[in-house]
Amino acid sequence: MSERIKDLSKQELAAVHKMASKGLRHALFSLSQITGHSFGMHAPSVSAVSLEHLPEVVGPGDQVVVAIYMSIDGDVRGHLAFLFPWHSAQRLWDLVVGHYPHDPQTVDDLCASAMLETGNILNSGFMNALSLMTNLRIHATPPLVSIDDAHSIASAITCQTELGDSVALAMETKIFDEANDGISGYFLCIPTGKGLHALLTGLDVRESA
Amino acid sequence: MEVQNQLVVGMSEIQVASGPTRYTCLGLGSCIGLCALDPFSGVSGAIHVMLPEAFPNRPVDRPGKFADTGLPELLHLMELAGAIRSKIIAAYAGGASVFQYGTGVPGVQDVGHRNAEAVRKVARELGINVIAHDTGGSNGRTIYMQSDTGEMVVKTISAGEKVLCSLRRP
Repeated sequence: MSERIKDLSKQELAAVHKMASKGLRHALFSLSQITGHSFGMHAPSVSAVSLEHLPEVVGPGDQVVVAIYMSIDGDVRGHLAFLFPWHSAQRLWDLVVGHYPHDPQTVDDLCASAMLETGNILNSGFMNALSLMTNLRIHATPPLVSIDDAHSIASAITCQTELGDSVALAMETKIFDEANDGISGYFLCIPTGKGLHALLTGLDVRESA
Repeated sequence: MEVQNQLVVGMSEIQVASGPTRYTCLGLGSCIGLCALDPFSGVSGAIHVMLPEAFPNRPVDRPGKFADTGLPELLHLMELAGAIRSKIIAAYAGGASVFQYGTGVPGVQDVGHRNAEAVRKVARELGINVIAHDTGGSNGRTIYMQSDTGEMVVKTISAGEKVLCSLRRP
């Protein structure tokens, strides 16, 4: 099955919007608990997947970005990623472990595992919210972290999404710390076509096939 | 002085030109960028491959997306532009596993390696004279190739720029 954004009804689109917002709010609440900072987000946009623009959204293509990537498994499949520009990631590390690497080549084991743990926390918050809303079994998978230029990370994520069944749409937004403490990030959730159908069925806005 | 043509080869794209041209493949994570040149005709080309092979159950929307459909198409387009297949010299880079930390789920980190293997295999089957490659590792790469000098440069955030080879001096 290949869902396309133009095939979604207004009601379905609104449900996807609501789901993304609620999932992300839960994820950011979890992040607030480990950092002691409140995080906010812009209203998520739901769009047809075109990841070519991803590097421009997080910054210039050669800008160093820290990306946490996870695949979604269970009744819904897809991809989840949080991307932080290097300076935001440094600030995040400082809040979580009390120090930060000065350049991408000096990321120590503690900082690497702290970012993986941040991924676990964001992941769990998002998945739990989705599971509660839909009564679906949605697994969190172990996160992966990359520190590289924005284009390379976007390319790697795009390859992953293209490997699965046809990708339907992306839910994306910018996140920021409410104290304006220099942390911003970019969130991306890409369910597969079948995954989106399962979510819409779980949200009671679509009949099961 | 001849004005140099600048071409940025995006994901899944194939670009071919005759005359002095500078090709750029930005941010090759698990993707592969392959540059090719026929030094005699001056026809050059580049491809930005995303995946090793086309899916058997799906139509191929863009041949350049896959190694098995993209490389033959690149050669075809270069021949149409006046290149002689047996004279074409190529080099490629990319195929990294950019997620350096964590275990993920099995198979997630394989794409770069599979891409590199597929490009190597398809290039050999097509008889392309590959003189250099820089694949694997955990750093994304950006590549540049200038067809007038044949120089191909690989850039990473950890090692900066290095000359991989010259397609005019194999």
